[in-house]
Amino acid sequence: MSDPDVQAPSEPSAWERLLPPALFLLFVLVVWEGAVRGLEIPKWLLPAPSAVVARFLKMKTLWYHTGLTVMEAAAGFSLSACLGIALSAGIVHSRFLERGVFPYVVVSNAIPIIAIIPLLTIWFGFGFTPKIMIAAIISFFPIVTNTTRGFKSADARVLDFMRSINATRWQVFAKVQFPTALPFIFAAFRIASSLSLVGAVVAEFYGSDRGLGFLVITSATQLQTDLLFVAITVLVVLGVSCFALFGRVERSFSAWQVEQGYQR
Amino acid sequence: MRREAAVSVQLALGLPPEAREAPCIRLHEVGVTFRTPRGPVEAVAEVSLEIGEREFLALLGPTGCGKSTLLRVIGDLTPPSRGQVEVRSGPAHAARQRNEFGFVFQEPALLPWRSALENVRLPLEVIGHPPERRAARCEELLDRVGLLAFKEGFPHELSGGMKQRVAIVRALAWEPSILLMDEPFSALDELTRNRLQEDLLALWAVEHKTIVFVTHNIAEAVYLADRIAVMSARPGRINAVLPVTLPRPRRPEMRDTVEFLEHVHAAREALGL
Repeated sequence: MSDPDVQAPSEPSAWERLLPPALFLLFVLVVWEGAVRGLEIPKWLLPAPSAVVARFLKMKTLWYHTGLTVMEAAAGFSLSACLGIALSAGIVHSRFLERGVFPYVVVSNAIPIIAIIPLLTIWFGFGFTPKIMIAAIISFFPIVTNTTRGFKSADARVLDFMRSINATRWQVFAKVQFPTALPFIFAAFRIASSLSLVGAVVAEFYGSDRGLGFLVITSATQLQTDLLFVAITVLVVLGVSCFALFGRVERSFSAWQVEQGYQR
Repeated sequence: MRREAAVSVQLALGLPPEAREAPCIRLHEVGVTFRTPRGPVEAVAEVSLEIGEREFLALLGPTGCGKSTLLRVIGDLTPPSRGQVEVRSGPAHAARQRNEFGFVFQEPALLPWRSALENVRLPLEVIGHPPERRAARCEELLDRVGLLAFKEGFPHELSGGMKQRVAIVRALAWEPSILLMDEPFSALDELTRNRLQEDLLALWAVEHKTIVFVTHNIAEAVYLADRIAVMSARPGRINAVLPVTLPRPRRPEMRDTVEFLEHVHAAREALGL
């Protein structure tokens, strides 16, 4: 018989991949530090990286705020993931749901999320609930559309084969459709998790006394620009971590598929 | 030559004796019309055919002549618009519910996240074969097509021919009595195709099934089948049913005999080529 597939050339090592961007970052930080010191730029306009680091080290309540925001984002994201996957499974198995509900999922993507925060605040108050809901709403669309596409991308021949052996709907779902959709689901999680973080932060802008969003707003109004940089840096690190985590899981589940998934 | 072909067509319309007693599959004036946005399209028109128990029947015809549709009608994957389909004197639907059909498609259609063995095991899981006997059955089948060493291999690690072998033994795993094959070898290169034809005949000699084998390859139909139902296109109908009188077991050398070529010629005439 002909040969099994030839292995792709090995990936560059982590060291080889990370060194160039790390060097570039270092370069930018050095130029930034030099410019702030040399041109005597005031601290409220642009703090030097060293000042941001100093503020970071001094900031005792940072982890409290970060923890709250992560908690809200994670709760919203989990809610969205559970409901989204369940709805997608329903859409794939029911004409009625597909025709009746799916259009509104698409419409939900057009809702200006910022505009409904005050509404949710009226309904649910200033606590965690509206933040969690915003995080859930913002991540719902990519999860549902992508998961639905994943369920639907099951091989028509395999579905024919399953039908020819009288497989039940549940067997088809569990043995074919769900495993087919897994790479799509993790691609959706990658996008939705960072979106849910954005949702939680934006929700905290409006009527909140804690969380990273609160930190961003208060430090900006008080011209504590160094604190603003600290908060932004934490958010960037969180977002990138979500992306990397689910990207890793996605790859491990889609070793058999060269290229699939969701591009936003 | 033309007269000889006509004679063999006439001979073929009388069915082999075993088939006359108890046809395994009986199609009576079956027609299939598909609704399309540009109006109805008649894919199959008035096909009547009887297929005997343990017979190897080839459905031969050009691309788009409705032979795959006919196969799907037999296997109850596509409902006929007209006519009746009987399998063992009952409706095709009931035969499908008894898991009598083993389907093999042009593409292997394996699950990429399952190993070769796990793919063969899939129908056993679905049908509810006793779990303790599943592994042994799968290994026995993979061994018979020379793939035991690759049982842990995933589809992306197997060649096209290997994947199609897995698909064939997957369709045999629960011992269905009827094998429905839709151009199973047409995506393979010629050498691989010939090897798989040998494998299929060897399997058929052991697990003596009724096989309906769709193909557009004349030599393949002659080499494998007991009878060849020759179809024409638009709408699909059966022009002739030709018996293949080559002795069994078939051997690769037979491809070069005059008798073989005469059969090829007769089939080509029936196709109108």
